[in-house]
This record gives sequence, structure tokens and C-alpha cells, in this order.
Amino acid sequence: MMRYIKLVNFEINRFSKIYLSLLLITLVSQFAGVIIVTKSLLNDARDIMKEERLSEAAYITNYGGIDFNHIANSLLFVGPIALSAVALIFYIFLIWYRDWFGKNTFIYRLLMLPTSRLSIYLSKATSIFLMVLGLIAFQIIILPMENALFNSNVPQALLSEMSISTITIANPILSLIIPSTFTQFLISYGIGLMIMSILFTAIMFERSFRIKGIIMGLLYCGIAAVLFLAPVLMEIGNFYFYPNELFGLMLAIGIILTGLSVWLGAWLLKNRVTV
Amino acid sequence: MNVNTREPVYLQVVRHFKEQIAIGNFVAGQEIPSRRELAASLNINPNTAQKAYKEMEEQGLIHTERNFPSQITTNETILQAVRQELILAAVDTFVDAIRPINVPVDELLRVVKEKYSEEIREEEEK
Amino acid sequence: MIEVKKISKNYGRKKILDDVSFTANKGEVTCLIGINGVGKTTTLKAIMGLTPYKGEILIDDQKMTKDSYEKITFIPDAPTMLPQMTIKQAMVFMSDFYTSWNPERANQLMGFFKLKEENRISELSKGNTAKLNLMLGLSLDVDYVLMDEPFSGIDMFSREQIADVFASHLIEDRGVIITTHEIGDIEHLIDKVILLDNGSVLKEFNTEEMREEEGKSVVDVMREVYQS
Repeated sequence: MMRYIKLVNFEINRFSKIYLSLLLITLVSQFAGVIIVTKSLLNDARDIMKEERLSEAAYITNYGGIDFNHIANSLLFVGPIALSAVALIFYIFLIWYRDWFGKNTFIYRLLMLPTSRLSIYLSKATSIFLMVLGLIAFQIIILPMENALFNSNVPQALLSEMSISTITIANPILSLIIPSTFTQFLISYGIGLMIMSILFTAIMFERSFRIKGIIMGLLYCGIAAVLFLAPVLMEIGNFYFYPNELFGLMLAIGIILTGLSVWLGAWLLKNRVTV
Repeated sequence: MNVNTREPVYLQVVRHFKEQIAIGNFVAGQEIPSRRELAASLNINPNTAQKAYKEMEEQGLIHTERNFPSQITTNETILQAVRQELILAAVDTFVDAIRPINVPVDELLRVVKEKYSEEIREEEEK
Repeated sequence: MIEVKKISKNYGRKKILDDVSFTANKGEVTCLIGINGVGKTTTLKAIMGLTPYKGEILIDDQKMTKDSYEKITFIPDAPTMLPQMTIKQAMVFMSDFYTSWNPERANQLMGFFKLKEENRISELSKGNTAKLNLMLGLSLDVDYVLMDEPFSGIDMFSREQIADVFASHLIEDRGVIITTHEIGDIEHLIDKVILLDNGSVLKEFNTEEMREEEGKSVVDVMREVYQS
């Protein structure tokens, strides 16, 4: 158990430089976004008010107040989130491949540790999962600050204040990554874990069987996808489920697929993988 | 000690010890290094050192009391025998080498005596 | 004792290992000899559980488990620590995960090899990388040490240092298996030789016995066997 924790700590440390950069970019870009987009919105509003000779109240009646949605949909705001997502998806693969193909073959060290291969597998999965949670938590923390900054930069008369939860729900990306209920959290992150474990296992296939393994890995992903979506696919074939049944079925399949992937991935790492 | 790879290394170690005894570098009753120390200093495998010690023990060249470092024997007979053995071995080699040249014994002995005295003189000058 | 029992491994049609069997005893140095590509490194990796194989390998009468890694270590012919780590960090990594890590011996070897803790792995020369790997492996209180080509591609001075450590620190009561493609000047350090060709064992013999009974050096036997 201790070794597993040490491994998680080690994996997170290895990525810390890039991770902190991602956090920093998000911070800077989003705050810059607040300032820049707000200024541009205010300029546009003032231009319109001048052209159409509207008072502030009339402007609001005709065009609605200036709200945070504009910020939340801007590139400077959404960009870093997309960047971080892409980086972490890359890292799902890189976290393994860097140990084989780095300048030094660190995988020797990992596989010769007096710890189960399952621990090694789980430590990499846990690290990525924790780092994702970290990014989300960071976003949750700075969002109110950004909102406050926004609110203070827009004149009261033109401002249409939004609460954090409204902002989150209104924005497709934020509503995806910041769940509003616990169930929503379980579903989003559960699916995320399932996908990660399936990808990990595909990687293990490749590391075990090389070219044949890539095909096996892809096949595995394909079969997993079909199995998970089976209830939905059956609905297309006119076989209907109650919402509860659908949810229950997919939950069960999801859990089984995740467990199977972890077991299979760890087994491959122990018995078939070659350095 | 230069190691010949066609002859068992442990026997070479034993011979090395005999040479040291004959020369006088190892004296009767003197403590000798442990097997490990010997292996490290001669850069050989400790197993070889072990085998060498066993052989020397059997030949009576050294004896080891339990938990004490090994010592060169104090038995004068054996020490003299070692000296003799080495002298004879060197002479053997010399005779084998010089025999094909067919030198008369007196001339041979004269040359040997000259060479030997010369060597002693040079050593004393150093 | 490490017992390798009829292990085989294929890579496609090619037989990398073909029914390889031998034993390596504790307290002895066993040397696997053969040209490059003959399966020596693969054999060591198989023993260490780093590659799959058919057949059986027993370490002290038991199959390999995760705890075996406290009893047996492998020193590969390549740098294995992260390039941005310092030597100190590499040592901390080892001491963190292995109960068999021996800090006194680590410091001793650091001093002997003249390595500095602050040095970064990426900055080390080939000779120093080999010495570092050796230091990391030997600082574990293990029963068996496996070394892959410990002397190849290394400057002469480093070779001498490594041979020195070999004779003084390494063997002690450990079982050592090394691989090499040239026996060179380390013949006198080896107890048992296993000659490999094309993935199979051509000959297995004890060096001192070969010298005593047939007056042949290891190089002589190699010449005989590989030329027939």
C-alpha cells in the first residue's frame, strides 16, 4: 500500500512541471479573457448606444445586459481548458510510452520494483485521475474570482450578474466538467475512468504483442464500446428500456468493463509485457 | 601476480605463495590475508582464493585455527622443502631450455656463475 | 541457486531461445558468452521477469514473485534512471522502495567510483553511467546479481575499476551471472561458462576444471566450439 502511494507521488512529481504550467496558463489566459473580452463588450455596447442614441436602460431592454456567458464562451477562457484536456489525454499514452522510449528506459526500474504490477498500473491511473480532479478543482476555485472581477469591471447599469451555478449550467464545457449533482459526478468521472482503463489495457496489448498488439488493442476498444453502448443500440433496434433500466444496465456494464480492463491490463503487465 | 589462463588459477596462487616463502617475504608463523582480502588484492575470484587456501592447508604450507587468521607454517622441514622445490623447478626449466643448445657443462656452469654474481653485484649497488 | 529449465522464446518464426538450461550457484560467477543477438540478454530478462518465455525458472527453488526483487537485481547495459534526476535522487528512489537498500555500501561505492551526488544522470559519460548502474545494483543486499555486458563500450580505466569492484565487493557470497561477447581480461574472475549460439547452449563448463583437466583456457574452448 505504501509503495503504491509512493508511486503515485512519484508519477505526479514527474508531471509537475507541465501540470503547473497548465494551471498557470489557465489562470493567466482566463483572467486576461475576463479583462479583454469585458473591455471589448463595453466598447461595443457604447458604440451601439451612441449610434442608436440609446440610454443605458434602453440598451438593456433592447439588447439585454452584459453577462459572464460571453466570457465563458470566449477562446481565452475555453482554450486552456481544451489545452489541458488534450494534454491529459496525450498523457494517458505518454505516461506509459515515456518509460519505454524516453532517453533512458525507466520501465526497467518500475518493473523491477518489489511491488505488484497491479500497483504500478493503478498508480499511473490514479495519478492521471488525481491530476484531472486537480484541474477541475482549480477551475472551481478561480471561477468565482473571475466572476467577481467581471462584475466589478462592468458598470452596474449594464451588468447582468450571474451566479456560479448559472454560469456553469449555461456553458456546455463547464457543465460537462463541473458536475452539478453527485450522481452527475459519478457518471462523468466514472465514464472517464472506464475509458482510461480501456485505453491503458489497449496500451498493454501493444507493449505485449507490438504490431499484433495494436490490432488487439483497437479490437478491444471497439468491443468495449459496443458492449457499453449495447443498451442504446438496442433501443435503435426498437427494443426499449425504462430510463432506470437503461441507467442501471449501462452502470453495470460500465463497472464490469472497468474492472475487466484493470484486471486484464495488470495481467498483461505481469505476464506478457516485454521490456 | 600475472594470471595464466591455461593453468588453474588456484595452483598459480599456491605457487605465488611458495615463491614468497622462498624469497623470504613470508616468514614462518606470519599472518596472511583473509581469502577475501587476497581475492581483492590479486583481483581474482574469491572462490579461487578459497581453493588455494584449501590446497595450501593440505600441503601443510599454512594452517588456520578456527576464527583466527591463517598463518604460514612454522614447520622448518616444510619451509625448506618449498625452497628446494622452487630451486629444482627453476633449474628444470633452465635445463630444458638450454639442453638443445648442447653446451659443455663446465662452460655452462662458468657462464651461470658469472651471470649470477653480476646480478648480485647490481642488486647490492641499488 | 538459479535454475533455468528448458526455456524457449520465439519472435515470429525466429527462435531467440531454444531449450536453454543451466544453473547458477550462489557464491559463483557464471558467464553467458556468445556473439551479439544470440539470446544472452533475453535470458537475463527472462530470469528477471521482464519478458515472457516458455519453460521454468526457479530462484532458490521458487518461482519469481514481486518479493524476489529484493533478492535478485539486474544491471542492464543501458541507463535506466530518469535523465533529469540527480544521482542523489536516484539513490533516494532506491531507498524508498527497497528494504534491501544499503546506504553505507552506496556511499562506499560512490567514493570508490568517484561519483558525485549532485551530478545529473543526463550528464554522465558512458563509463560513469555503467558505474552508476553498478553502484545502484550492488547497494542492494541481494543474493543474486545479473549483469548485462558490464564491460562493453567502456573506457579502459572504468573497466579496471569495475573489475576491481567485481573482485572485492561483488562476489562475496552472491550468485553472479554476467553476459559478454568478449571474455577479454576477466577470465580469471569467472567460475562457470555457458557458451550460447543461435539461442541454444553449446557447452557448459567450470573454468578451473577445464584448466586442470585439459589445460585449456576459456578462449581455447571458445575457439574449439565456435569453429566446429
